[in-house]
Amino acid sequence: MSTELDIFLANLSLISLIAIIGVSLYGILARPNIVKKIIALTIFTDAANLLAILVGFRRPPSIPPVLLNLEPRATDIAEFSASAVDPLPQALVLTAVVIGMAVNMLIIFIALQVYRLYGTLDARKIRRLRG
Amino acid sequence: MKKELLIAMSMVITVVVMAYIATLGGGLGPLFSDVRPLAKAFLSTTLDPEKPLFTAMSPEAVTAIVWDYRGLDTLFETAVFYLAIIGAIAIYRDVNEKVGLKGSGLGLSKIVRVVTKVLIPINIAIAISIALHGHLTPGGGFQAGAAMAVMPMLLIVVFSRYFLLELKLTKGLALAFRSIGLTGIALTVFLPIIIALVNGVNAYIMQNQMKVNAPVGLPAFIGNSLISGSLILYNVFEFLAVTFGFSVLFLLLSIEEDIVKDQMRGEVSEH
Amino acid sequence: MDMTYLLLAISMLFALVATYSAIVERYLVKAVVFSALQSIAFTLALYLLRAPDIVLVYLPITVGIYPAAILFLIKKSEEVEEL
Repeated sequence: MSTELDIFLANLSLISLIAIIGVSLYGILARPNIVKKIIALTIFTDAANLLAILVGFRRPPSIPPVLLNLEPRATDIAEFSASAVDPLPQALVLTAVVIGMAVNMLIIFIALQVYRLYGTLDARKIRRLRG
Repeated sequence: MKKELLIAMSMVITVVVMAYIATLGGGLGPLFSDVRPLAKAFLSTTLDPEKPLFTAMSPEAVTAIVWDYRGLDTLFETAVFYLAIIGAIAIYRDVNEKVGLKGSGLGLSKIVRVVTKVLIPINIAIAISIALHGHLTPGGGFQAGAAMAVMPMLLIVVFSRYFLLELKLTKGLALAFRSIGLTGIALTVFLPIIIALVNGVNAYIMQNQMKVNAPVGLPAFIGNSLISGSLILYNVFEFLAVTFGFSVLFLLLSIEEDIVKDQMRGEVSEH
Repeated sequence: MDMTYLLLAISMLFALVATYSAIVERYLVKAVVFSALQSIAFTLALYLLRAPDIVLVYLPITVGIYPAAILFLIKKSEEVEEL
């Protein structure tokens, strides 16, 4: 079904995704500016979500988990469940994206308040300040 | 800049080499060949009129999982959404957005304004269509809310925030609409229990179609059109909650910094 | 060989380069633009992975709302990251 080249390309996608997670972790931990930390954090969240979707993938020919027939017979349903990708990771990621955005907005508001109070967004300087 | 380019190139080469080594060792050969049994259970019952005790009566498996099979998860995710927005509003608790009202003469050039005016009805139509067809095609409350929340941001950037204030879309109104959405979700959660109490039978929280020992189910059809019981109600109310929740945040985020600082300083000196 | 895997691998490599550029870029506005490019590559990957629901929710949030919010934050605070 799947050739050697397909397996290589799938491996390449997965290892690139792991490399993206590594680079964004470096951004969260090592870059001093809080805005840069927020950008790296969103990339990290997106990569984790995409990893969850990738786990539920099924090798082509496959279809999205939407049944196209509104009055299905038993054969239609059997064919659908034999060819559709896993809908469960998609449902979990769907809420995680929107809720993650709301939490990111809260982080943005807090970063703005930190800038108002301390006059800087450099994490090293904020650590040295008191009160 | 040359150093960064070198590092990026070496990163790409490392990834390709590692993928090649993994392929030589067998790697992910058997991956993606099949889905888990749980997924098959969801896929085979999502729309099956012959199994009325197990089906969710929606051809869209993702929406069926979000609001029926794993409905309580989504309910508590919505609670997290609510609390995150409350936290952001709490930071701006004493800031009055109407101070320094300047009228709607501000904003970008006339070309951009006219194009935006053409885009607004299209955006609203697409968002409402995504929300109302969420149980039939890819889409639903979260997707429609995300598509619709682009609009207040676009209006603020193109026309300035005073345009929204003149349209009476203030923080209070957006919060009221968001509360209508959340109250609607809460009512839909208890709707099967209310129907069951009237009829004197059992029911579950967030029940959609009838189950064993709980013969109350919301109607899957109105006339000939499939509405999938409670799924369409959840989609519409979640659409309201997400749209106006994000609108509140944009209205607060776009207030000019000197106005915010003045009012926050006043608050500090009062106490 | 299947087009799905080829396009998936290309979009993931593009996302890797865009992520690295966003992380090392000192000017934060450029970093946000690189982050939006990474999101576009991820959107293509999600479409190829048969997830149309996630595409619908991911595209407006990570290409529209989130860069705009970060740009508001940058406009109100610092524009350059000092190492």
